[in-house]
Amino acid sequence: MKPSVEQLGNLLALKREIRPEEAYWQDFLCEFHQRQREQAVKKSGLSGMIGSVVQWFSEMGPSKWAYGAGLAYAAVTIGYFLSPPSPPAAQSPTTPVHRVVEPTQPVQQLQRLDLSPTTEGETGEQVF
Amino acid sequence: MFRPSRPPDPDQDLVTRAQEGDTRAFDALILKYGNKLHGLVYNMTSHHEDTHDLLQEIFAKAYQSLRKFRGNSTFYTWIYQIAVNQTLNFLKKRKRRRGLSLTELDQTLQKDPALIDSTNEANPERQSRLNELQKSLNAAMMKLSDSHRMVVTMYDIQGISHGEIAGMLKVSEGTVRSRLHYAHIQLQAALQDSWDERF
Repeated sequence: MKPSVEQLGNLLALKREIRPEEAYWQDFLCEFHQRQREQAVKKSGLSGMIGSVVQWFSEMGPSKWAYGAGLAYAAVTIGYFLSPPSPPAAQSPTTPVHRVVEPTQPVQQLQRLDLSPTTEGETGEQVF
Repeated sequence: MFRPSRPPDPDQDLVTRAQEGDTRAFDALILKYGNKLHGLVYNMTSHHEDTHDLLQEIFAKAYQSLRKFRGNSTFYTWIYQIAVNQTLNFLKKRKRRRGLSLTELDQTLQKDPALIDSTNEANPERQSRLNELQKSLNAAMMKLSDSHRMVVTMYDIQGISHGEIAGMLKVSEGTVRSRLHYAHIQLQAALQDSWDERF
């Protein structure tokens, strides 16, 4: 024999009376305030900020994947436009790059010398 | 266009004060709805410690989100909805974490004072049968899927109407009725052996 739906309902309704004792809620409130204080301390630090972002992201539901994909796309696009243009890939990446450093011309060095008349003198003479 | 006005939220004053940072006002809301939410969470988890932790999380979430509460529903409906969502998420995680067996669940449920009928105290045999019945009922409840157990908890235990349940679970009223019907059949079948017409 099985109970009718009404009898089942009456049996389930007995569970309405299951409740914690009065003292439970006082302890509950103390713990709640304690947790809130700890949370406030955590949130004030950098790790708290990161934690808040992570929590915000995790609470977004399925849309977080769309946002994540969008952010990744935006980051790649920005990175592409900001990166300097790469040199023509004439050599394979494994080949060492030889840079030819042009030696400084001695003529250029001579041109930079001060050859004004005050420093010029006749042969064997020194002008002060 | 004329819209029927909704009755004012009886918690409007407490909510406003809590939104302005009055922690005592929020404490009053916890004390007002704590038992109701405890009933929801405990009948869903069947575990005292999980219920306690989950209630802490539910009230913390409500406190943090309180500024976003615009009064589109009553505060009670709003926080109840938070509790429903948090509980369903918790149960999903718990299932992933461990294959929860019925033996791991609270065995104290059957000893709860509320389930000990005072009229039966003088009749130990009847009380023993009632305890056995409650034990079978708890086991059968935990065998229901989360969504079926949720509607049984909300409708049969908490006394919430079909329409309100539909609104909170964001399903149609027909779905609520269908889930209830299926859950009742399952529970009736589970109690078949321990049911005594004299109850």
